[in-house]
Amino acid sequence: MSRRTIQIEMNRVEGDLDFQLEMEDNIVVDARCIGTLYRGFEQIMLGRKPTDALVITPRICGICGTAQLNAAVLALEHAGRIAVPPNAVRIRNLCLMAETVQSDLRQSFLFFTADFCHPKYLSRPFYDKALAAFQPFKGSVHRGALENSRHIVEIVALFGGQWPHSSYMLPGGVTTPANSRHIIDSLSILNKLTRWFEQTVIGTDLDVWLDLQSAEQFFAWLTEKPAHDESATGLLTQISREIGLQYLGFGTPHMLSYGAYDDPRYAGTFTQHKQRLFKAGFLNGETGIVEAFDQAKITEHVRYAWFQPYPGGLHPFQGQTVPDYQPHSDRYTWCKAPRYQDKVVQTGPLADALIDGEPLIRSLYQAEGGNAWLRQFARLRRTAKLLRTMRDTLHELSADLDEPHMLPPATKDIPDGEGFGLVTAARGGLGHWLQIADGAISRYQVVTPTAWNASPKDSAGRHGHWESSLIGMRVDDPDDPVEIGHIIRSHDPCLVCTVHILDSGKRLTLWP
Amino acid sequence: MTTLLWLQTGSCGGDTMSILCADSPSVEELVDQYGIEFLWQPSLSAEPKKHLDTVLDAILEDRLALDILCVEGSIMTGPNGSGMYDPYRGRSKMSLIRQLAEKAGYLVAMGTCAAYGGVHAAPPNPTDCLGLQFDKQAPGGLLPVDWRSRRGLPVVNISGCPAHPNAMTKTLAMLAAGLPLELDHLNRPKAFFNTMVHQGCTRTEYHEYDVEDELFGGKGCMFFNLGCKGPVTMAICNSELWNGRGSKTRAGVPCFGCTSPDFPSDHDLFRTEKIGPIPVNLPLGVERANYMAYKSLAHEAAPERVLNKTMDP
Ligand code: SF4
Ligand code: SF4
Repeated sequence: MSRRTIQIEMNRVEGDLDFQLEMEDNIVVDARCIGTLYRGFEQIMLGRKPTDALVITPRICGICGTAQLNAAVLALEHAGRIAVPPNAVRIRNLCLMAETVQSDLRQSFLFFTADFCHPKYLSRPFYDKALAAFQPFKGSVHRGALENSRHIVEIVALFGGQWPHSSYMLPGGVTTPANSRHIIDSLSILNKLTRWFEQTVIGTDLDVWLDLQSAEQFFAWLTEKPAHDESATGLLTQISREIGLQYLGFGTPHMLSYGAYDDPRYAGTFTQHKQRLFKAGFLNGETGIVEAFDQAKITEHVRYAWFQPYPGGLHPFQGQTVPDYQPHSDRYTWCKAPRYQDKVVQTGPLADALIDGEPLIRSLYQAEGGNAWLRQFARLRRTAKLLRTMRDTLHELSADLDEPHMLPPATKDIPDGEGFGLVTAARGGLGHWLQIADGAISRYQVVTPTAWNASPKDSAGRHGHWESSLIGMRVDDPDDPVEIGHIIRSHDPCLVCTVHILDSGKRLTLWP
Repeated sequence: MTTLLWLQTGSCGGDTMSILCADSPSVEELVDQYGIEFLWQPSLSAEPKKHLDTVLDAILEDRLALDILCVEGSIMTGPNGSGMYDPYRGRSKMSLIRQLAEKAGYLVAMGTCAAYGGVHAAPPNPTDCLGLQFDKQAPGGLLPVDWRSRRGLPVVNISGCPAHPNAMTKTLAMLAAGLPLELDHLNRPKAFFNTMVHQGCTRTEYHEYDVEDELFGGKGCMFFNLGCKGPVTMAICNSELWNGRGSKTRAGVPCFGCTSPDFPSDHDLFRTEKIGPIPVNLPLGVERANYMAYKSLAHEAAPERVLNKTMDP
């Protein structure tokens, strides 16, 4: 038996990501997901005016700044018991959805499918098609995704002035109302993207596609017409399944979703727990039951992270973030280990769809489990849903253009106290927890989606989701472990708030 | 052929996301029309990451010419001057950038972080960040004040948080095409930093007549009460719109001055500091006494349509 350590570094993820894997005879026996970039946002927030969070925290992440902004504004509104009018919720939702569509298209066709052009697959029958569609800067789908992901965020620019990084959600609403010009501009942006999506990504009409409800219907659809199996989704599905991604990358069975997009019908009065268009919940992987979600059950552990140690886990309202860099200890990352009900969970589009009860994803999950292909597929399924929901939102907005877009809060300053804001970013559940004392922020804790997925071991020694999704896996060529890239990228890793490198053992590199 | 290497240091990836939004020229055009070859770009390169090491070795051993080095993100010098809050292969990125800078035809700071330190350098600056050739306003950062790249320029600072998409691609296109690049006193290309955000803001009709908003969500000017730094900030946000569609001030968001070395300022970002009724920081170069006289006259002269805020921004 040969045992060796390999180091894997990935590009085409947001931020840098490294894994250190222990291999025995081509089987992964231990995995460490490593984050070494530390930026200290939680410390920068201390002592600032609470509303400064609306400018500082979007800068946590360049790809999901709108979601960060939303989490921050919800936390402030929670602390101040501040309500927002329905149109503000609609405008926020529209922009959040545009950002997610941007991210999902880039993740799918700039980051994920490029791996299918790996020389390992040169002799496979799909190779030429993969190149024609997915090759960076040359493939038709790659170029289309570059172009279209660029246009969809113009909707955010219409309402927020720019993408990335604007601060147009303020306690009580948004800074600008929708007018008829915004509506027509947004519709025209959305129409063009929808047309491209129908022609290139699904090869069919959006409604036809969304009507597919079961695994049988989906597989029948796939082979029904050449336009279906030649579409980007068709191609992604066939290639994934030919190389066996439906058998890989399960990880933890527990899933978490905060629910997505506040329901405008319940806006107008402040509520502690938001009614959402897509449901919140915890899918208990042991019982298969979706339980009600309760943020009080979230804790973060630091046993294997470079923070000043504390025993067990702490809820973010008690959270401590004191850096303590110890490169030569058994601690290995700047990522904390969040747990829900003390369980390792995953978050992201697959979790969201299952918890919301999306029929097609549920049916595929029942048939084959939460594998790497399904995770990627769930993301594209979401794009279709969002395109339709965005259109509905624009129609709702245009029916009520004269309604207010902001309800100025009763007091100018956010009162002392605490609040949290939970949203669904492209990569899953994102939460901000803040406390205010003497008019200034006294504690700010952020738990990113990637923190859930890229979590290191916790104080009980339980591996995080990505780590566990790799353990037990067979790698054909440890010197070029393409499989690992497929699996990790199916999670849409975003490491800007976390991850890098360690120096031991033989260093290997993932292609591409 | 112009070779380009893009490295991320302490960053949010926002400048990469921003440049993907560029449309005039677009990133594809840089490749197709301006002959820019991306030796490495973390989000776009299809090559294995091992390729980055090959490229770095070749550059450092003078086997490969590096025309443009782009850096996105703050230079982290902590903890304790080691730079290990942001390591690469067991060493600090800080030291890697220092070495590569000696080989680069041009060194371009993409965004305020790389230029001046940026959001990560906000107090208490937990990771001890600096910019490439500035430490906030102070000249001299990772590289000394008199440092020049091989082609004779200091670090070219395309500041902004994030940098404006088209300011980035146009600068790169200019360098690739051999067009001259004139820099201002903060080493920003004048072509993009010789315009105030205030110029071209659709709220200037209100500013002109001293009609100021007290609350967000309105149509008026945000200079006196809501923290807008448009009249003291050099950037093209209102002359070359973001994503082809808008700007912060057009959408009713104050300009936070994100292209300036002191971004983000450490007092309340949504309030304007004032002496009496007049902002402490007046529009660039304006005398206080003159400004006060002008403002009271202007308010007197304001037409009804402006006083009643019937005009859309
Ligand atoms: S809002 Fe700002 S940029 Fe616009 S006119 Fe007023 S001060 Fe100038
Ligand atoms: S308007 Fe001001 S804060 Fe906004 S991007 Fe431009 S310079 Fe930065």
